[in-house]
Amino acid sequence: MDRPEDRLALIDTFERDGRASRVLDVHAWPLLLGRGLCNHVVLDDPFVAERHARIGLAEDGALLLTVLDTVNGVQLNGRHLAAGASVRLPAGGAALQLGQTRLRLRLAGAPVPAEQPLPRAKRSPLWLAVPLYALTLAEVAIGLDPGADTSAWLAGVLGLPGMLAAWCALWALMSKLFQHRFDFMGHLRIALPWALALQLLDILLPQLGASLGWPWLWQLAAPLKLLVGAVWLYAHLAHVLPQYRRAVRAGMLAMTLVGSGITLNTTWRTHDDLVATPYMSTLPLPALRFGGTVAPAALVDAMATLGPPLAQRAKKARVDERDNGAADPGDGDDN
Amino acid sequence: MRHARIARWLGALLLSLPLAWCANRTQAATPAGAPAGAAAAAASAPAADTTPVQPESAVSGTGQRIYERSRNRLLQVRTLLQTQDSQSSVGSGFLVDDSGLLVTNYHVISQYALQPGRYRLVYVTVDGQEGALQLLAFDVVHDLALLRPVKPEGLQGRGAIALRPQAEALPRGARIFALGNPLDVGFAVAEGSYNGLVERSFLQTLFFGGSLSAGMSGGPAVDDQGRLIGVNVATRRDGEQVSFLVPADAVRELIQRGRSAAPITTAAWPELTRQLLAHDVALTERFAALPWRGAGNARYAIPVPQEAFMRCWGSGSPQAARGLQFERSDCTMDSRLFISGSLMTGFLTVRHEAYEGSKLGTLRFGNRYSSSFGNEAMGVDDRHRTAPKCLERTLDRAGLPLRAVVCMRGYKKMDGLHDLHVLVATLDGAQAGVQGRFDAFGVSLASAQRLTAHYVDGFAWTAPKTVSP
Repeated sequence: MDRPEDRLALIDTFERDGRASRVLDVHAWPLLLGRGLCNHVVLDDPFVAERHARIGLAEDGALLLTVLDTVNGVQLNGRHLAAGASVRLPAGGAALQLGQTRLRLRLAGAPVPAEQPLPRAKRSPLWLAVPLYALTLAEVAIGLDPGADTSAWLAGVLGLPGMLAAWCALWALMSKLFQHRFDFMGHLRIALPWALALQLLDILLPQLGASLGWPWLWQLAAPLKLLVGAVWLYAHLAHVLPQYRRAVRAGMLAMTLVGSGITLNTTWRTHDDLVATPYMSTLPLPALRFGGTVAPAALVDAMATLGPPLAQRAKKARVDERDNGAADPGDGDDN
Repeated sequence: MRHARIARWLGALLLSLPLAWCANRTQAATPAGAPAGAAAAAASAPAADTTPVQPESAVSGTGQRIYERSRNRLLQVRTLLQTQDSQSSVGSGFLVDDSGLLVTNYHVISQYALQPGRYRLVYVTVDGQEGALQLLAFDVVHDLALLRPVKPEGLQGRGAIALRPQAEALPRGARIFALGNPLDVGFAVAEGSYNGLVERSFLQTLFFGGSLSAGMSGGPAVDDQGRLIGVNVATRRDGEQVSFLVPADAVRELIQRGRSAAPITTAAWPELTRQLLAHDVALTERFAALPWRGAGNARYAIPVPQEAFMRCWGSGSPQAARGLQFERSDCTMDSRLFISGSLMTGFLTVRHEAYEGSKLGTLRFGNRYSSSFGNEAMGVDDRHRTAPKCLERTLDRAGLPLRAVVCMRGYKKMDGLHDLHVLVATLDGAQAGVQGRFDAFGVSLASAQRLTAHYVDGFAWTAPKTVSP
């Protein structure tokens, strides 16, 4: 880093995980790159030739990359150059790959891209663990009969902390893999609000649907939970791979869409409906029942509306069977 | 949930009675290659228990006479694949007039009735003569079919099994003889007693105190003069010598109706539909006319059916249990109609569970009560029926709030017939409640509406309440 005023260029050598491991100042042209010790930039890479490439000044003062005697050639900004090629380098610098080694050439005077804002990590407070744990314990308490064994409590009491710890540890390992840091707390802060949201959704929405007598709201709980789960997963992934946020977002979106598509299709085929649960199976607590009532005769009258769609389904099934050829295979084979 | 699991387990146990009945009805026509062990057991058992009790001449003499008299009129009815000679199922049959008209069970020939293009019917006489058969008519409700040989000369002049006149009542305990070809082993006579009508049965069915084996279905059961009492149809596997006959009256009606009918050559779904709809009308009419008998619950009137043609089994949680207390009843009809090996219909079931949760408290009770409402299957799209279409409402039944779910499935090949599933739960109690389920299989839309109204009507408070506790 000494004599910055004399620096003509800078060469970064990257590790395989994309981080610069070596920075070399360039004070004079030409520059030789290769495995041999005679080079200015010595690359310890078995796929690099002894004298691999040369960067020098052309007569008009522009920088010229010449590929020397190499089998593998050079990749210049993604373009492959074979031995003997000679190419002018762009004024802003270039990304090079020699063998398996990736290099970046930065030139003095080239404009430097503006500073990128650091993705501001939304640090959710750790006290969210308290309502989450309280809700879980309440659920366990309601699920157990009064006077239940201590051992029956144990699974419920230890279950959430254990699972949460395992979950965050797993994600921290992913962070370690991609970012070289075991970021347990970071993932815990991500997990807490989403786990709480999922828990609240799970408890409140079905009961709310039942209280108001709105089956659609009740039916909404399952897809909504799926959506929250997908966003939660995305939050962890984005934390592990901050530089690929857009790709992760696109991937999660595609996965969610394809997954829902397949599920809906399967449900449609077996249930002739978009939901697999044929009715709202939560009953409201008497004190929380706000929906109106109808006379039994209204229900009986409404049954008339079931006839035509059922007849339609039956007709469609007969048509499908006829189109599929034979009468149903083996009717009575199990006789 | 624990209590739900117990409830379901109990349900399975009780269901095993009617299921055994179904299993027997479906297997009464023996698939080819029935297990030899079963045949051997069936053959050895009667020999062991009859010899020491009765003197040889009195009973066996009659049996011998009956067999000699009937053997020419006795047939085996085989269902074969159209394209090959291996048998798909076998049953028995008997001649009912001198022209070769014969009767067997509908379930013996159901494969042919539903897929005449795929199967064919063949008779085999005691002396080994064979010939093709054609189907003239059937009565799916009584499980009977009327057939005729394609070449009449094959069965002409062999005489007929006469029907015992309606006026001559047979005393209970009278000795009767079931004839047929059990398990395709050979023609046989099975002696047993006449025990009158099966109790609590919607359809008139005779109780035969003797053994019937698969393959004897469709064979005649005759009195000591060789006159028809009934047609072998089913047996109970969970009992000993508890078998069933279709009364001769139904045979008489079928012969009158089908004697000169044109042979059936296309799939019989339209005629099945017609007969099932007629059965539905009769069943709905009788069921809706019966008042509910209640379950003895202090708080609620609960629709539990009279046991005129249903059988109810009750159960409850142990008193000492510290969790949810419940009582339940499971009522079902023994009379179910066989349509094909994979479809039984034409019956009703009624079930209820009364819950009491004062030991649990409001929140815990609400949780258990709600979960119990959740684990109810309404069926999915299958070979015979469409996926369900459901309606759900909160009802006001004279002040008592009820959550009601009505689901219906349509029969794919029998237009206008449905399965109905109704689920009802009381919503007024913070620590008590009743949930009920009513199922009707093979009913019209109008009947479904009538039965639903009748069922919901069965729920009420035992005494009018102004404030819900």
